Amino acid sequence: MNAPLAIGVIAGAVLSGTSLLYATLGETITERSGIVNLGLEGILLIGASVGFASAASSASAYLGVAAAALAGGAANLLFGWLVVSRKANQLASGLAMMFFGIGASALVGGPFVGAVITGLPKWRPSFLAGLRWVKSTTLFNYDILIWLAVPVALLVWWALFRTRWGLGVRAVGESAAAAFASGRNPAMIQYQALFAGGVLGGLAGAHLSLSLTLTWAEGMTAGRGFIAIALVIFSKWHPLRAIAGALVFGGAEALQLQLQARGADVSPFLLDMIPYVLTLLVLLAWGGARRLAAPAGLGRTFYGSE
Amino acid sequence: MEKRSGLVMGLLVLAFCVALAAPLAADAPKLIIGAIYVGSVNDYGYNRSFHDALLTVQKNIPGVKLLEAENVPESAEAERVMEGMIQQGAKLIFPTSFGHQEPAFNVAKRHPDVYFEHAGGWMMAANFGNYFGNTQAAWYPMGVAAGKMTKTNKLGFVIGVPIGFAVGNVNAFELGARSVNPAAVTTVVVTGGWSDKAKEAAAANALLDQGCDVLAMHVDSPATIVRTAEARGAMSIGFQSIEARALAPKGWITGLGFTWAPYFTEVAKSVIAGTFKPSSTHLGLGEGMVTVAPFGANVPADVRQVVTASADKIAKGFNPFTGPIVDNTGVTQIKAGESWGGDKMGDFKWYVEGVVGKVQ
Amino acid sequence: MPGDRTTAGRRLPPAARAAARYGLITVIVLVVFGAILLAAGKNPLKAYADTFVYALANAYGFSELLVRLTPILLTAVAVAIPARLGLINVGGEGQLYMGAWLATAGALALPHLPAWVLLPVVTLLGFSGGALWAAIPGILRARKLVNETIATLLLNYVAPLIVSFFIFGPWRSPESSAYPQSPAFSDAARLPSFFNTRIHAGLLIAFAALALYWFLMEKTRWGLQMRAIGGNQEASQRLGIPVATWIVVALAIGGGIAGLAGMGEVSGIHGRLRQGLSPGYGFTGFLISWIAGGRPLGILLMAFLFAVITSAGDILQITQGLPYSVINILLALLLFVVLARRPAQRGAR
Repeated sequence: MNAPLAIGVIAGAVLSGTSLLYATLGETITERSGIVNLGLEGILLIGASVGFASAASSASAYLGVAAAALAGGAANLLFGWLVVSRKANQLASGLAMMFFGIGASALVGGPFVGAVITGLPKWRPSFLAGLRWVKSTTLFNYDILIWLAVPVALLVWWALFRTRWGLGVRAVGESAAAAFASGRNPAMIQYQALFAGGVLGGLAGAHLSLSLTLTWAEGMTAGRGFIAIALVIFSKWHPLRAIAGALVFGGAEALQLQLQARGADVSPFLLDMIPYVLTLLVLLAWGGARRLAAPAGLGRTFYGSE
Repeated sequence: MEKRSGLVMGLLVLAFCVALAAPLAADAPKLIIGAIYVGSVNDYGYNRSFHDALLTVQKNIPGVKLLEAENVPESAEAERVMEGMIQQGAKLIFPTSFGHQEPAFNVAKRHPDVYFEHAGGWMMAANFGNYFGNTQAAWYPMGVAAGKMTKTNKLGFVIGVPIGFAVGNVNAFELGARSVNPAAVTTVVVTGGWSDKAKEAAAANALLDQGCDVLAMHVDSPATIVRTAEARGAMSIGFQSIEARALAPKGWITGLGFTWAPYFTEVAKSVIAGTFKPSSTHLGLGEGMVTVAPFGANVPADVRQVVTASADKIAKGFNPFTGPIVDNTGVTQIKAGESWGGDKMGDFKWYVEGVVGKVQ
Repeated sequence: MPGDRTTAGRRLPPAARAAARYGLITVIVLVVFGAILLAAGKNPLKAYADTFVYALANAYGFSELLVRLTPILLTAVAVAIPARLGLINVGGEGQLYMGAWLATAGALALPHLPAWVLLPVVTLLGFSGGALWAAIPGILRARKLVNETIATLLLNYVAPLIVSFFIFGPWRSPESSAYPQSPAFSDAARLPSFFNTRIHAGLLIAFAALALYWFLMEKTRWGLQMRAIGGNQEASQRLGIPVATWIVVALAIGGGIAGLAGMGEVSGIHGRLRQGLSPGYGFTGFLISWIAGGRPLGILLMAFLFAVITSAGDILQITQGLPYSVINILLALLLFVVLARRPAQRGAR
């Protein structure tokens, strides 16, 4: 049975877009607190390798997910120590984290290359199983990370915009000095945001190795961390818009493959450019308004009471 | 200041001597072989086939030491790794990926006493030979297997890079499938690289979404595609290494694998004896480099018979690329009475009738 | 000045201080990495000894060191120049690829020209490719439309895709249709190499770029002006200085130098255009320039250190069985140590 193009693209978009969404949500929280982590790629790789290694050693994919989340959080805390406590330059620290992630993931994952794991189990709700277009595709037959993706986005939105903690995060992101003056502890808040961001980044990596590909290979994230950084901007630092963004960016890859599977003459390279060019165009189109959407304190480090 | 720098110098000299002495202290092996791989040897695929073969060589010839480097990119890096191996005493080097050819050739020029056997290239020199398995004709019986086992008449083929040899594999596959099932259609999806696991998973899912129930592939590692097919209840035909069948107990039909060990053993022996002769050796099914994988548990006996018979035919010299062959735009590419032999296998720029796809 | 440690009257000359600082950093890093090696079951002393023997005390190894040095020196300068204006250029990767791309276009279009014409043409094209690619973010930044950090970062990923498109399409080599790469350059388009090694004229270009950078920044009015503008763009604007023009020019020149790195790789090393030209040279250059605070001598020393470390990766892979990628941990440690040692001091850069 032949799924129409739209269904195929949506099905593929959900699969590819899930890890993008988790990564974007994590980076959104971090950037809302005023910190840019260019090393997100490294966090994803650490999540993917630690998750796979744990799943392979313990025969439990869920343990792998938990390990990946913790590892991602810990890695982001290391990054936090550099940029918050040592007040180091965020861009340089981020790139250092990227190198660290590439190397550490290779070291951790190395002994497990080729290991065969049972990936995350998938469920499909029975009332959907009978539908014609659903039966023959991957639609609604998802593992826990995909099922939780939108709820987590909602949770992040709620946390950032409807809780005191979120208010504190956004205040620190706008101006750490002002937040400090109003009685908050910017360093603690940033550490919390970084940990949360790292956990989500670790989950993004875990989805790649424990569900999508069921394997570990060096560098397997193939730039997704950087796509997520672009996605954060594209979705104006807003968790709910990130859902649409992740579907669009994930869909670009799916579209390219589905078009090929129909014999269309498309260059995979031109289509791969879409996420980056789209982000630039969107930045241009929304010009000044976009700049106002960014947390004002993004990139600047806080000097305390000096 | 003087004392400190003297101490430092002394330590460096000591380290230097230790490093030099260490290899001398060990037993001298009969031959040190160096192998560089573009990926990981645990890939159930391309790289594993070379690794397994070299392990067999070690068993066949006692006293052979093996140096291996994984994830060596197809770039200037490769030269450094090979030089490093030569400094460690390697006398026979196997650069196993196509893109390692030029770096290897450059290193070979600098070391006329070290021998090189490159997989898949064409360059030759007094100390540089090449070899590869002829896979195109061997894909014909694979097509036969797929054509017989498919229930939807839709077959999927994932290619890494659309080089002529890969296109030829697809063509033979479809020709074989059509020979037993005139309604069989093969859809091709290109991932753009030999080893991008996430793309391979997405490509496999896209093909399965289209209704394909048998997946075949030409990428470095069949693992991801085979497992994706298995998870969605589809069947698969493997490539590169027959070990991949372990990954799909239900859906595995059969596959092709490389058996380099006999050739490698011959070459290693010639290097030890000092009689190395460069050659361009291309052997196919039945000639020692390509073999058909064991059948999966769910393949019925009559299908096994037909496939085995087809494989025998190929081994005995049947050439599936015998005209008239029409491509999928209606143009006759191989006229009646003509046939394309082994030397033209890299020249495919078109897909045969019945393949959905376009060569970029 | 906070951070300077002086004992009344006794101050080492700046070069010695720099060497001592980098030396201390190196030692700390070697110790920590040694601990990681031990934890992974390897022998750190043998690893370091092997690195010394094969990368430094060995003619081939040393020549490869210089080969590695060439592109990262260039990409470091590519970051340092815009940095003088306070601009952040993380787009070295993309600028490198576009330099390689435009250089290839020239080499493929004019293969029959003699070397003394073709080489300068190819070099100029390499510079232009990178310069144009960096000018785009430059213009966007000058018009206050897009932050240059983001713009240069995004364009990093578009450039290799453009290269791949051409290699798989219009520039696909017919002779090796089995493999995606451009046709080989004619000899006239190849940078000459020295001593029968892979060291090519790109190294000379790199040293020249570094020297020119030093001269321009320290000895000319432009350099001082750039630093002034970088210190306070608004004030400079009000004084009538065409800041927007400076921004575009600085980024373009920086991008051009990164483009020269790309040209060096295709013309000096590979002799054709292919995928995977840069294993992160652009990012490495950024880090080198940043650690060195944009100072020319520091850039040279750090680039050399990076080259030694990455050479170690090859050896460790063969002798210790470690994946090559592990060397990235060593690089990261080096960076962590430097980054962590600078609390509030913001004098450099």
